[in-house]
Amino acid sequence: MRPLGPLLLALAAASPLRGQSSQFGVRGLGIPLRPISVRATGTGGSFGLFDAESSLNPASFGSLINVQANFQTVQNWRRSVSPTGTATGQDNRYPGISIAGPIGGTRLNAAVSMSGYADRNFVLASRDTLILRGVPVETFDTLSSRGGVSDLRVAVAWRQSAAVQWGAALHLISGSNRLDSRRYFGDPAYVGAQERATVSYLGFGASVGVMARIGTRVTLAGVVRFDEKLRVERDTSRLGNTDLPTTIGGGVRIRVSEHLLVAGSGLYRNWSVADADLVAQGGIGSNNTTEWSGGIEYFGDSRRPLRLPIRLGFRHARLPFPVQRGVDVSETGVSLGSSVRFVNDRAGLDLAVERIWRKGGPGFTESATLLTVGFAIRP
Amino acid sequence: MKPLAHLSAVLALAALLSACQEELTTPVDCPELCPGTSLTVRDTVLTANLDGDSTYTGYVGGNEIVALLVSSGIDAGESRAFMTFPRRSDSVLVDGQQLFLTVDSIAVSVQLLSRDTLIPGVKLYIHRITPDLDTTATLADLDAQMTTGTLVDSATVLDTLKRGAVRMVLKGSDITKLTAAEADSGRIGIGIRIGAGLSTGVRLGSINSSLGGPTIITWGTVAIADTSKVRQSATALAEKTNYVIETPPVPADRIWLGGKSGARSILRFTLPAYLRDSTTVLRATLELTPGIALRGLRNDSPTLEIRGLLADLGAKSPALVNVAGSVLIPTGQTEVLPADVRDIVVTWFTANAPPPTSLILAILPEGASFSRPEFLSSRAGSGSPRLRITYAIPSRPGHP
Repeated sequence: MRPLGPLLLALAAASPLRGQSSQFGVRGLGIPLRPISVRATGTGGSFGLFDAESSLNPASFGSLINVQANFQTVQNWRRSVSPTGTATGQDNRYPGISIAGPIGGTRLNAAVSMSGYADRNFVLASRDTLILRGVPVETFDTLSSRGGVSDLRVAVAWRQSAAVQWGAALHLISGSNRLDSRRYFGDPAYVGAQERATVSYLGFGASVGVMARIGTRVTLAGVVRFDEKLRVERDTSRLGNTDLPTTIGGGVRIRVSEHLLVAGSGLYRNWSVADADLVAQGGIGSNNTTEWSGGIEYFGDSRRPLRLPIRLGFRHARLPFPVQRGVDVSETGVSLGSSVRFVNDRAGLDLAVERIWRKGGPGFTESATLLTVGFAIRP
Repeated sequence: MKPLAHLSAVLALAALLSACQEELTTPVDCPELCPGTSLTVRDTVLTANLDGDSTYTGYVGGNEIVALLVSSGIDAGESRAFMTFPRRSDSVLVDGQQLFLTVDSIAVSVQLLSRDTLIPGVKLYIHRITPDLDTTATLADLDAQMTTGTLVDSATVLDTLKRGAVRMVLKGSDITKLTAAEADSGRIGIGIRIGAGLSTGVRLGSINSSLGGPTIITWGTVAIADTSKVRQSATALAEKTNYVIETPPVPADRIWLGGKSGARSILRFTLPAYLRDSTTVLRATLELTPGIALRGLRNDSPTLEIRGLLADLGAKSPALVNVAGSVLIPTGQTEVLPADVRDIVVTWFTANAPPPTSLILAILPEGASFSRPEFLSSRAGSGSPRLRITYAIPSRPGHP
């Protein structure tokens, strides 16, 4: 464990989970996060259902023959445009950590992972003019939210054969938003006001998945995930429940040649089941979502596929929480990634760069560049 | 394992470097994008409880006065100062010997604390009066003694002098005007009045003043061989200082502050339930309506001090010492006088054992100002004291 000391120390000293800060992450539970690895991110998420380091499909790590741990961090630079104005921002978050490996003497593999489910980090600033004591007084409001919802997964995968593997997982969905509302006045005769609240979430879910190779070139994967109602509390009082969606996903990966893999996948979530709950809690509502992605992975050395591969990807998704009711929010992105391994492949660094464009309603657009860095260790 | 250790250190550094910047702020147009509502701001006016306000006097004793008021013709009232000097020795101590001082000049010195700088040619007239006056003395008593026959001399206050010593020096035969009389047990009584041709006044230092009280300085010679020590002086500090002021009576529908005895007033309010419930006080202003144009000496405005009460026990109510509001009281003001009292009002919202919802008013310097503000009370009908509170109602953030 001694060599891991500095790394663990750094992880402890680094900031806690921080956010995406998208203006489309203000409503509902925030902006949904994808439980995929840096490698899958580099392919637009298209390899997520097949990737052992991703937490999307509980069958995907069934082929691991060594224990491995992964950690990733994302730096995000964005530019948001709304009818009120334009803002640039940046932030950092730690969307995932996972440990997976075989259970000795069996055909089973086990994994524990922590990934982001939804992110609700934002600071909204607005100004207004109130008539106080018959005089117009300028006001400055900020509403900030820190936190989000995380997904703790415990999963088991079973290698039925060399071609087929199954997986099942239990999910603990929990988190909180620490909200801080402040109002300042242009007239110093008025003191500012501040209000704080913590909204906490707790829910459970389960997922099953499968991955099957057909012939020597084609691999299919599928996943179904059921999440129950999310219990929502504000400070110490019950705010209500938010029904969480069922997720259905499927994908195909084709080995085009010894050096090239191509994959495509789709995910559907019936987020509309949360609509009534969110409206009842004072929100705008939610829409069903679909996500399509496609990508390739090219590696020069087929015996060491993690040595400087080239990954390219594309994705398009509909986001669940609109800024205005009846308006769709969509997200489109392209990505590029690679990996490098050290010390006989015992440690490695994965990189992915994404360019994302979001739009949702008249005047609301956003573009962002995400740099994702992953660290992989095989003790 | 060494390469792995180095690698993990590099990775740790990379993790720290990447955990760096955060700038989340986005401008928005609420409520279109904002979840929930902003803090709601409201304004309310509380009128002082009917017949709940009181004026109490007697907070400043005659021996605690920090300034002596001397005036002529101003609307704040006619005033004269008087003082008593103790019996002074006829000798001085020089090189361990008590030597008789042959007096050749005497000076009376007073400290000017404030004046109306727009009035030129101000003169202080010094009269020799009885040293036996006390706090029961009236203006008529003093005026009866301050005649041409008792006039010692006058001292001109330089037009450029705003604060400092004013001295009157007697020489030759005039020094007999300040010679102690055995009938007075060697004490000397002095009265001071003012003249300028125009209505004005001054405030002079009393024995409690930080600048010092009145003094009599005696110069003369002693019989000693060392010629450098022949010239000697002796200084006598006043042992008692006071003043009298004659002010017009205050109508019953008013509360008032100040005066020689340092009157204070207590205002009592009732907080409605809607205010007590989880509100944040953004601004609280006490509004007082002058009953008449605020009297006083021009360019010498006192401070209205407002405090909360620890307990409402009437005249002996202890005031909260850690929070206060204050505002200058401009002489001649007829408009409503506003004073910020938020720091006091927020204490009324304390969860545990909040103090009484009352305010106690006083003016500073207490007992030493010409100003004696009169404000309409709760009995006045319109214009009674009121508290304007601007407050925020919580919005309870947390909407999805």
